[in-house]
Amino acid sequence: MSETALRPSAGAVSPSRAPLPRRRSAYARRRGRSGLAFVTPFMIIFTLFMVAPLGYAIYQSLYTTKLIGGTRFSGFANYATVLQSGDFWNGVIRVIIFGGIQIPVMLAIAFFFATIFDLGIAKWGPVFRAVYFIPFAVPIVVSSLMWGFLLDPAYGPFNRFMNVIGFHGFNWLSSNLMLPSIIIIAIWEWTGYNSVILYTALKSVPRDVVEAAILDDTPLWKIILRIKLPLVRPAIVMLVFINTIGAMQLFIEPSILNNYAPGVVTATWTPVIDIYNTSIADGEYQLGAAMAVVLAFVVIAISVASLAFRRRREFR
Amino acid sequence: MSARRERKRRERLESIDAAIPVELYGLKRGTVSVLTACCALFALFILAPVAWVIINSTKTQANIFESFGFWFASPFEFFHTFANLFRDVDGDGTYSQWFLNTVLYSLVGGVGATVLAALGGYGFARFEFRGSKLFFGLIIAGLLVPITLVAVPLYLAYAKVHLINSIWGMILPSMVTPVGLYLMRTYVELSIPRELTDAARIDGASEVRIFFRIALPLMVPGLMTVLLLAVAGTWNNYILPLIIFSNNTLYPVTVGMGLWSQHAGNSGDANLYPLLVMGGLVTIVPMIALFALLQRYWRGGLLLGSVAN
Amino acid sequence: MSAISLEKLTKVFSAGVRALEGLNLSVRDGEFVVLVGPSGCGKTTALRMVAGLESITEGTVAFDGRVVNDVSPRHRDIAMVFQNYALYPHLTVAENIGFALTNRKIPRGERERRVRSAAAALGLSDLLNRKPAHLSGGQRQRVAMGRAIVREPSVFLMDEPLSNLDAKLRVQMRSEVLRVHNTIGAATLYVTHDQVEAMTMGDRVAVLNGGVLQQYGNPRELYDRPANLFVAGFVGSPEMNLYEASVSSSDELVLGSQRLPLGPAAMVLAPFRGRAVIAGVRPEDLGLDGAVGDAARPDVASLVADVRGVETLGSETHVLFSIDATRAAATALAAGTSLDSLLGGNTHNGLARLDPRSAVRPGERITFRVDPSRLHYFDPDTGAAIR
Repeated sequence: MSETALRPSAGAVSPSRAPLPRRRSAYARRRGRSGLAFVTPFMIIFTLFMVAPLGYAIYQSLYTTKLIGGTRFSGFANYATVLQSGDFWNGVIRVIIFGGIQIPVMLAIAFFFATIFDLGIAKWGPVFRAVYFIPFAVPIVVSSLMWGFLLDPAYGPFNRFMNVIGFHGFNWLSSNLMLPSIIIIAIWEWTGYNSVILYTALKSVPRDVVEAAILDDTPLWKIILRIKLPLVRPAIVMLVFINTIGAMQLFIEPSILNNYAPGVVTATWTPVIDIYNTSIADGEYQLGAAMAVVLAFVVIAISVASLAFRRRREFR
Repeated sequence: MSARRERKRRERLESIDAAIPVELYGLKRGTVSVLTACCALFALFILAPVAWVIINSTKTQANIFESFGFWFASPFEFFHTFANLFRDVDGDGTYSQWFLNTVLYSLVGGVGATVLAALGGYGFARFEFRGSKLFFGLIIAGLLVPITLVAVPLYLAYAKVHLINSIWGMILPSMVTPVGLYLMRTYVELSIPRELTDAARIDGASEVRIFFRIALPLMVPGLMTVLLLAVAGTWNNYILPLIIFSNNTLYPVTVGMGLWSQHAGNSGDANLYPLLVMGGLVTIVPMIALFALLQRYWRGGLLLGSVAN
Repeated sequence: MSAISLEKLTKVFSAGVRALEGLNLSVRDGEFVVLVGPSGCGKTTALRMVAGLESITEGTVAFDGRVVNDVSPRHRDIAMVFQNYALYPHLTVAENIGFALTNRKIPRGERERRVRSAAAALGLSDLLNRKPAHLSGGQRQRVAMGRAIVREPSVFLMDEPLSNLDAKLRVQMRSEVLRVHNTIGAATLYVTHDQVEAMTMGDRVAVLNGGVLQQYGNPRELYDRPANLFVAGFVGSPEMNLYEASVSSSDELVLGSQRLPLGPAAMVLAPFRGRAVIAGVRPEDLGLDGAVGDAARPDVASLVADVRGVETLGSETHVLFSIDATRAAATALAAGTSLDSLLGGNTHNGLARLDPRSAVRPGERITFRVDPSRLHYFDPDTGAAIR
């Protein structure tokens, strides 16, 4: 890596024979090369393990391998298959519904608690904050397993509870309730993390703005909804964005829960499950690659759209 | 010990002074109690699965199904089940091996990710070079890429270069964290004043020296946040190891337990259910400990500062 | 019945810091009172306690005789201008000014009328639809004041509202602030660290240091009769020249190797015969021959000094001089931090303001004339003025 060593005595780099602009540019170039050196390790690994596979996937999606005839260039044939696949798009709609319900509900709850912590209007705030953050330390596989036990149709405590209060034969993991159950699980998993982010955002609202509102005799609900909430909008937009990207890629929870209620989660229940099954279980990785590309476009489109989604639904 | 407690006490008091007193909000009587009750209810919701896991890790398989979920039952099988984590119960592999794998992948991947993100973030933040904007834009675009788009072709590529069933096949991709790089760049911009590095350059320090002696010490809180995120991300990773490993001695805990979960129903004698519960418990404990330990460094504000940019 | 009355007002923070000790102060209706002092002197804390934003450890705050310690700041009918203006960033100028009115459920037409008239009074009529981010510092400051005007409060508080403006703007805005004060007509408490602001704007000025009130009076009193060393050194720019001196047994002031007659102060200084005192003389009370009176007059004293530097300001000339007395510090803090000790012996320990036409050159030895009745004396142990 090039080192730019300067002589301590002078601030100049080279004898001032050359005209000023050229001298600065040479120095700047050398410094730029140092910058490049810092960035190179990341770029190498990034290119090898993200860009290259991506390119390869896109490349592969344009081919089809058949038992007879081998691998041939098939252009957009795979894409046509995907676009016409009702199952795939049902999966897409399913995750959109999932995100459309889970994200606003979870953000509302997260904002509710973040506000409580920020204003200090409940006791033992720091304790609750720490507790709510626990799910973030739990791998999703494990939380799915735990919740699977709790919601197990035959033996889970929550099912038994439903029987006790009168709903007999209640099944949290039936095909009707599977998605709502996963929504509950997702809320369990992510609310704490989101509320910490929102809490930090709320704390950075300048104190004197709130004091000015107090002197103006502003009621608390107005302070929260009309002063603090608008000022944390950037954080909310960011959270909607990253939550959307995650929601569209729903895979682990349904996969694991399927072991407790076999058959409910079909092979194409979510787009990523579909891709996985197509690529690995069925071995049609080229079709799978095309699916993944299509999904990527959908994800990007919806994520970018979510950035334009500026108005948050108010709770209560 | 007393000095530390004294400092904590002072910090707490200062934060009380720094916050707006609750009385000024004009709350009706009893609001605080109602809100505290809401918090407690949600806390119950959060803790329920954790409590369940702790309690049921002590039970036999039969008891898991038959006894009341949220209280203990005899016999107390905790240590017996725990010992079974070290045995290959049904041919899927040993939990202890999976655990060690997870630790290996997470630590090496996490540290590697942090190093790369730190170097890269510093480079993007403090230097201008041709293509820097382009490269950075590319990396941010990487945020949008779904994992699946990358995992499957990686598998195919590994097949060609004999990286299937290699730990590096898992570790190296884990070191790519666009989020981490973005956070580090933001952190460098926020907390290392340009004047500092400029002064060091004028004093004749080399760029390497400036990075290690001046920049790095100032970047520590940001490094911790990125480390935490990278370790958590790798610890959590399921799809990638699921695809690239076929040798069950290489599985991380996530994949192993997923497999157990699949086989549990027809495992017969193997009694996988208690193992699943115990395995879950053992997985959670270190991560919670890690977070508790490093919570001083958790900079939620960092994620926010990046939004402002 | 004073509009604002503070009695033994004390504040101790939970971390143990004693920010304010027993402040006694009263503000008359319509009066403009300035709280001034260096950073950390407690002035902002006092203001915030009057507002109700800071809890009161001891003492009382009363408005028109009614103790308001337990009254929420929402109901104290106060308007406040914060140092960083505290404008609502996401609202327009019009919405910012009218915000308090929406809380009071004032009908929209009335509200808009009031906002418009407040904006007009402050020259903000063209900016009503802008957001604070697109305003200059001076404009933001005026919006903050507009918010206050529209409230028609009984008490008006200001926390260093001009500190974030550049020097020239600050001078302009001083008259703006006073105009707003006159418009509102309420008792006003104004906090600043700038003694020039205090002296030019206040009807009465309270000087604080270290949480303790040093002196409270009108600007003239503070200037001519400072109650202690701190006030003497704080008020007036350039600073008063202070020296360690002593009183001789023959009623003379011993200043280094020179002796000055005490004049009318002899009686007051009688108890200090043979003891040390601190003597102070303001830069403008030192003059050359012909300026303060003839050398022949017995009541004019002479002070011989070596000129170290001359600064010609055009409107006056500053002469930096040294005499062989030891300079005294106005505060314990200043004592150890003199640059003189770093730079060696060739610096000055006094400053005089002379007529711009004075012909003085560095290196000269000149004789100042000073009216002894304009000298100030302070007890070296307590810092209190000797009267």
